[in-house]
Amino acid sequence: MQDVTAQPSSAPQMKSKPEIYNSSSELKKRLWRNKWLYVMLTPGLLYFLIFKYVPMYGLIISFQDYKPYKGIMGSDWVGMKHFSRLFTEPDFLNILMNTLILFGLNILIYFPMPIILALMLNELQGSFFKRTFQTIFYLPHFLSLVIIVSISYVMVTMDGGIINELLVYFGFEPINFLLSPGWFRPMYIIQVIWREAGWGTIIYLASIAAIDPGLYEASRMDGAGRLRQVWHITLPAIRGVIITLFILKIGSVLDLGFEHVYLLLNSMNREVAEIIDTYVYTAGLRQGQFSYSTAIGFFKSIVGLIMVMTVNKISKKMGEEGVY
Amino acid sequence: MKKKSFTMLLTALLTLSTLLAGCGGNNNNQANSASGESTTKPAESTEAPKEEVKEEPTEIKIMLPLNTSETPPDTIKNELEKLTNTKLTYQFFPADTYEEKLNSSFATGALTQVTYLKNQTTFIQMKEAIKDGQFWEIGPLLSEYPNLSKLKPEILNNTKVDGKLYTLYIGRPLARQGIIYRKDWADKLGLAAPANVDELFEMAKAFTEQDPDGNGQKDTTGIIDRNELTYGAFKTVSSWFGTPNNWGEKDGKLEPEFTFDGYFATMDFFKKARDGGYINQDFAATSKTDAVNMFKSGKGGLYIGGSMQDIDSLNKDTVKNFPDAVLDAHSMVAGPDGSFAQWMIPGYNNVVLFPKSAVKDEAELKKILAFFDKMMTPEVANLMYWGIEGVHYTVEDGKAKATDDKELIEREVKGYKDSVIGEAETNGMYENYNTLPGRIHADQLVLENVKVGVADPTAAMDSATYTEKGVELQQIITDATYKYIYGQIDRAGFEKEVETWKSRGGNKIIEEYNALYKK
Repeated sequence: MQDVTAQPSSAPQMKSKPEIYNSSSELKKRLWRNKWLYVMLTPGLLYFLIFKYVPMYGLIISFQDYKPYKGIMGSDWVGMKHFSRLFTEPDFLNILMNTLILFGLNILIYFPMPIILALMLNELQGSFFKRTFQTIFYLPHFLSLVIIVSISYVMVTMDGGIINELLVYFGFEPINFLLSPGWFRPMYIIQVIWREAGWGTIIYLASIAAIDPGLYEASRMDGAGRLRQVWHITLPAIRGVIITLFILKIGSVLDLGFEHVYLLLNSMNREVAEIIDTYVYTAGLRQGQFSYSTAIGFFKSIVGLIMVMTVNKISKKMGEEGVY
Repeated sequence: MKKKSFTMLLTALLTLSTLLAGCGGNNNNQANSASGESTTKPAESTEAPKEEVKEEPTEIKIMLPLNTSETPPDTIKNELEKLTNTKLTYQFFPADTYEEKLNSSFATGALTQVTYLKNQTTFIQMKEAIKDGQFWEIGPLLSEYPNLSKLKPEILNNTKVDGKLYTLYIGRPLARQGIIYRKDWADKLGLAAPANVDELFEMAKAFTEQDPDGNGQKDTTGIIDRNELTYGAFKTVSSWFGTPNNWGEKDGKLEPEFTFDGYFATMDFFKKARDGGYINQDFAATSKTDAVNMFKSGKGGLYIGGSMQDIDSLNKDTVKNFPDAVLDAHSMVAGPDGSFAQWMIPGYNNVVLFPKSAVKDEAELKKILAFFDKMMTPEVANLMYWGIEGVHYTVEDGKAKATDDKELIEREVKGYKDSVIGEAETNGMYENYNTLPGRIHADQLVLENVKVGVADPTAAMDSATYTEKGVELQQIITDATYKYIYGQIDRAGFEKEVETWKSRGGNKIIEEYNALYKK
């Protein structure tokens, strides 16, 4: 009996053993050969592990009535209570719509700006001009949002703001930019462009710089003008970069920046300005509703994930690479 | 006009950039304070043996929020240890992130024997844990301590949880709010301090229309307000109109303030002021910094609702811009029926708790309370609040005059200043020595205010619904109030919003408060 059973089992072992040995030693060899790559990879991996994956443990509290003094293990489980509170909140749809509209504006109006700006910068002759303009465009990125919003306030306020003074001077009615729901979105998007458009050009400029100058020369020989060159050479060359950045942008769908919207938010424009992040702040954090806040944040992340996956799939269907 | 806006823009830029620099510095210092904390500890252990004279000093660990950027050196602490025969370990944490520190310490059982909270909000959040029996009840013990039993009973009452006392409080004047106004403008236009709400309105109107700064242009605004109903002008003016403080009694039942006539009268007051241009038009979107700057730059003449004691700082900068400016404080404004009123805060700014996880038994608790009992003596309270006499302050006319070296005080004293329990009347520490006439007037008015003070009847009450969504619901009312003032909704529209408030949980809050009120 023993022999019989031992026989068939040992036979494949004999066969496969060297193979396993082989592949594992090869793996070891490969690991060893690239050891420095792995060493260099470790900080990145650790970063994601510690700051992105471990905190996910905290999502548990969105299914609990979390009490800081009881801790995550000790708090009571309440199932989907906080999620159903969110979905039955009378303002929920409005808040979600506001978030999505701001996001849509971000994609439609803000997203093309750095591309256009990069193309324009690229056409500038003389590196002095180019550098100077680049620096000027980058600068607002380093200003805090508080400053951007405050400068806007001083410019557009009804109490002696320069823009309203000018409007009156030219015989128009002053406009209440700060307190009218209609002006919230334009103000928001203009401030986003003001602050981020220049900074956003960096990656595009880098990928434009990588285009073979021979292509431009050849097209010039064929009599292509500036615009033709942009359309047929520059844009196709950076198409991959644009799509990658686009998908990444979608990923941050609902991260419109709490700080920015909160600074612009007031009682008069709340109907259009309340977004998920500001709602989390008023309804959740200010009252110490940790579980509810976490549930909202969780919901937001899921929406973001779905959007990224959808866009990624679409871009793959269209023959582009996608981000994963 | 254009030029003016431009200079304003420039000044805004400048102030903002200095602000920015301040913030940057702050971050660095936070790192410092964290490291500073660890360095102070070994120092204590080396000096401890020297102090063992007769009675073993009590060892007490204290955690508290720090409102400055650097952990204070041990100057004050060493003196404090000598005076109270203790060995103290102060753990300062930046106030910005103190709540998180508190929660994480709580979750890991790492709270210290003496745990300061941050403000009333953290106290409300902690109430559940207090009810859960996580902290020592100290009510019955207080009478054993001659100084602690001086603490004001009405304020202690406000800090009770389910009728039991767990905390010692850090006192704040009950009603500091009122008007700070340009007396030079009023004098020029022949106006006296407004005796009633109508005169207040007339003053705002005159400050707007009669060119009080005399530059020949109509470029001033009466009232400068900001995007805050409670700490801005609204609530203070509503008090004058006879509105109750958050909740009031109507037909034997507690009702929220926005169902009272006074609230509507106040909204009409501001609506009229806004329609006439007697208040800055964008006040619903104006931050405190912007509002204060407008006042300092002579754009407006009435600053209502803030602490009248801020007159020192307002005066300093206004006089810089306008050497002839004179500021004064005022708060006795009669309502339409001729009576005075002023809303009051619950009288404390922060509280101290004693966690059972750190204080093992009642004997230990008593020793710690003995330390706080000593803190209520003038000698110790002065040391912690003002610093060391001759170094940080001098006594003039029986009052403390802080040294001109503000930075020294900020560095060495400020950290301890915010942790002194009680108030000057109970712990006997020196009052502030003032020179500015407006400030002296303001301090008198703060005391006058209390005489006509209106307390919030719900201050010591708990409503589960309020704890869960009170802030969110309040938003509905706040928004409706602004919309009414800006003329977007009328009285019927406002009442509809109140109905929304009620149906979304307000009714439950009313029920819960009234259930407690009848008891």
